[in-house]
Amino acid sequence: MRRGDALRPAESSGSNGSRRDFLRRNLQASGLLGAVGALAASGPNVRAARSSAENPFAYDVGKFERTDPKFIHYEETARFKSPRPEPRRLALGPEGALHVAAGDSVVRLGEGGGVDFEIALAGPAQCLGVARDGLLYVALRDHIEVFDARGQRTAVWSSPVSKTWLTGVAVGEDGLFAADSGGRAVLRYDRSGRLLGRIGEQDKERGIPGFVLPSPFLDVELHRDGLLRVNNPGRHRVELYTASGDLELAWGRPTAAIDGFCGCCNPINLATLPDGRCVTCEKGLRRVKVYSALGEFECVVSGAESFAQSVPPGVSMAKAALDAVADARGRIFILDPLAGDIRVMARKREGASS
Amino acid sequence: MTPRSPGEGPVSRRNFLRNGARVAALTGVGAVVGTLVHRTSSQTTVWQIDPLKCLRCGRCATECVLDQSAVKCVHSYDLCGYCELCTGYFVPEPNALNTGAENQLCPTGAIQRKYIEDPYYEYTIDEALCIGCGKCVEGCSRFGNGSLYLQVRQHLCLNCSECAIGRVCPGDAFRRVPVSQPYLLKTSH
Amino acid sequence: MDLDIESGVEAPLSKRWLWPAFLALAIVWVCGGTAALGEARFPPPEFESGHALPLTATPSPRSLAMQHVDVAALVGALGLACYLVHRRRSRRGIIALSLFSLIYFGFYREGCICAIGAVQNVALALCDASYALPMTVLVFFFAPLVVALFAGRTFCAAVCPHGALQDLVLIKPVKVPAWLDHALSVVPFLFLGAGLAFAATGSAFIICRYDPFVPLFRLTGSATLLTLGGLFVLASLFIGRPYCRFLCPYGALLRLAALASKWRVRITPDFCTQCRLCEEACPYGAIREPALTSTTPPVLVPARRRLGRLLLLLPVALFVGGWVGSKLSVPFSKVHPTVALAERYADPNKPTVMPIPATPDSLALGRAERDAPQLVAAAVDIRRRFVLSGWLFGGWTVLVVFAKLIGLSVRPDRTDFEPDRGACVACARCFMACPNERVRLGLLPASAIPTRPGPGLGTGPTAAGTKRD
Repeated sequence: MRRGDALRPAESSGSNGSRRDFLRRNLQASGLLGAVGALAASGPNVRAARSSAENPFAYDVGKFERTDPKFIHYEETARFKSPRPEPRRLALGPEGALHVAAGDSVVRLGEGGGVDFEIALAGPAQCLGVARDGLLYVALRDHIEVFDARGQRTAVWSSPVSKTWLTGVAVGEDGLFAADSGGRAVLRYDRSGRLLGRIGEQDKERGIPGFVLPSPFLDVELHRDGLLRVNNPGRHRVELYTASGDLELAWGRPTAAIDGFCGCCNPINLATLPDGRCVTCEKGLRRVKVYSALGEFECVVSGAESFAQSVPPGVSMAKAALDAVADARGRIFILDPLAGDIRVMARKREGASS
Repeated sequence: MTPRSPGEGPVSRRNFLRNGARVAALTGVGAVVGTLVHRTSSQTTVWQIDPLKCLRCGRCATECVLDQSAVKCVHSYDLCGYCELCTGYFVPEPNALNTGAENQLCPTGAIQRKYIEDPYYEYTIDEALCIGCGKCVEGCSRFGNGSLYLQVRQHLCLNCSECAIGRVCPGDAFRRVPVSQPYLLKTSH
Repeated sequence: MDLDIESGVEAPLSKRWLWPAFLALAIVWVCGGTAALGEARFPPPEFESGHALPLTATPSPRSLAMQHVDVAALVGALGLACYLVHRRRSRRGIIALSLFSLIYFGFYREGCICAIGAVQNVALALCDASYALPMTVLVFFFAPLVVALFAGRTFCAAVCPHGALQDLVLIKPVKVPAWLDHALSVVPFLFLGAGLAFAATGSAFIICRYDPFVPLFRLTGSATLLTLGGLFVLASLFIGRPYCRFLCPYGALLRLAALASKWRVRITPDFCTQCRLCEEACPYGAIREPALTSTTPPVLVPARRRLGRLLLLLPVALFVGGWVGSKLSVPFSKVHPTVALAERYADPNKPTVMPIPATPDSLALGRAERDAPQLVAAAVDIRRRFVLSGWLFGGWTVLVVFAKLIGLSVRPDRTDFEPDRGACVACARCFMACPNERVRLGLLPASAIPTRPGPGLGTGPTAAGTKRD
């Protein structure tokens, strides 16, 4: 019987019937496909919606990125672009001329903001200092070069040791202090380049704990009072040394709050105001603050909210490190290498804030 | 119904067509293989994170096809500052600089802190606990040297054709690297 | 001079650092090298206690040596499957091989490497010269295909872990209505086309992304896909190989190859008794009943006319399909992360202030902000490629549907019960259902079945004829 079924002629067998069926149900099938296609098309939108979801593992320092306005005692009076790309450090000359170390050069800006002269260097200038007599001391990674007031090289000091990584220069009347973060000490030179001693190295008898430097940020400032201000970022403080290397005072505490130094290692750069107060620059929470000569927190120059806080990936911390200098009138110049601009900050007039 | 004699008519025509199709298909496959053979590398590639592009978004912890992400935090010890206050280890404002759970940033406590000497501490990753969320990486990169960063641990990675994390990575940091150099390590050299 | 003294002091220190540095170098060298991203070369602290820096461990990839094993297992299993189907005609052997493939390629190798996904790698390698195609993937792509051109879908029979899983859990097959079977059998070709389009544009490997079984093999994955996999397994209990028949894109490719295969699976070892037992035994609806050619012209005329109409309509439909496909390129190109990012970046309503803390989305937008020109240029380029692949995909869709319709219009030519070359996955179930096979194996006396029918009964030469060669 089954065999008989199997021998049905072709036109009545499955082929024809299923085709008609197929054609009839084709609409249904294509409708199904259309629905699947619509789903697939909406896929990206679903993903986009989901992708804006928050990061459950966010590292949140957001509340420290907003500064209480009552602490901000400075206002921006001017802002200009760095004359050269990759600016790194600032220094002020005796007549208030601004020197900018940028890329492989040092530029002196004239009165009107134009470029006075430019010194080409063999490598990036790490830091620089200007003596009262106008001599310009530029530290490359491992040695110091001396230029006269017209930008002519007059001397090249040889590198003290192989590990040297100079990150700060302060020039006094009879000597030069170079902060060597690689050697974890401040090197004291006379004006001819003779190494006279090392300051700030660990010395239990003299009560010096030593610099803790996770990264190449060691700055030195020399004030009129003859004391060196040196930051000790790993210990979150600023230390005051005599020229002979005695530790006179240390202040600062670790906290992300506004009155202390945030993160693992801050401050990174210093400046001194004429009256002995100290300007500190921090990384991580990029902000600039002023402390009294004895180390009490006084006010904020530029809060974290005024700087771009997210350093693009792959950009090294050094390229985002703020630097500041203060002129004789108490104005503070802040270099933001990330934005490539320099801000001029002046104290708000009395009455503007408490 | 008239019986057909064997090997004639449509049957052989279809066989002829079939043989032709087979030869054509073989030629096609051969052409594809031939085009690609010189382009194949005997050297397999594996997925890796470029630490210089990583944005620490946290997706490595959640998007991997594995239960436990193949992405873990690694530590380049020669970049580390051995800080007492490690921002990769401690929450932004710790009560005290000790190993108390409330002070630890890592959601799984996968970072171990060991005293070396004053004032240095060493931090190591317990990879069995690490979920690759990158929280410590953000802390370390933001304030410190960036010695903590995320890498695909190749002994865990299934090496999917399309990396499930890579396709949602906001930094476009996933790329294929030759298997002979399966890591993109940060070093100080 | 002072400087000499200084360097004298430093010398022992630097020597102390030499040793760990050397060790690090040695390890890096031993590990076969790791690409190094040098940053600031700032020296780590000096430990008075002489503490040596630990080294960053770099465990090697786990599947290196396995690649060769994989290829050997694939080739071996393919050969064995052909032997079991065409020579030994052993369902039991196929079950054993399926078990092996399921355990090895499935649960042990966790569904990777897999021939189904390899299609995309090949497509990407063809379109993107910078993409380095692993040799293993190439072998996994072409070996089953070449085998299918000669011996049919023996890869599907017992080598593919996806097929093996569905085949092994099939306990109570339910027949899928012919119209549904025909309609759904178009889907794998469309999935294949979409998979190729997305892979060739470097956007996504959707075949891998939506694979329902790999999460099961890995015993981990997104809840959606695990559920989908579970549903497929559940469906496989009653519907024969739902994934293979109605979704698998590589199966679509193998189906095409098997249509041109040199040898087909033969149900009967001798002659067809037309008993229909094999048709009952096949859970995949792959066995076609005899359809003798009718020579009466009036019956053929409508079919021929329909065929002619279809062939005439084809070019127009191809163009329309391609045009529609090209119009779909804009929404579909959003699957590519670069295009999606560029669109969000170009969106005037995008948030201008970065939220605190940053979200993955805002981080991505930040990246877009930084390299906007390259990003937009890349997105435009990708979208252009999507237009081309949209044309191709639209055309392909129409072609597949028309091929199906034409296939249904072409008059079949069968004298016996035969497996459809394309649909048959060579599972070997029908062999034991055939009384002649049982006779051959001595399980049934020869007298239990009718004798070979004479030519007058109208049976063709195929079964008996090909048996002897």
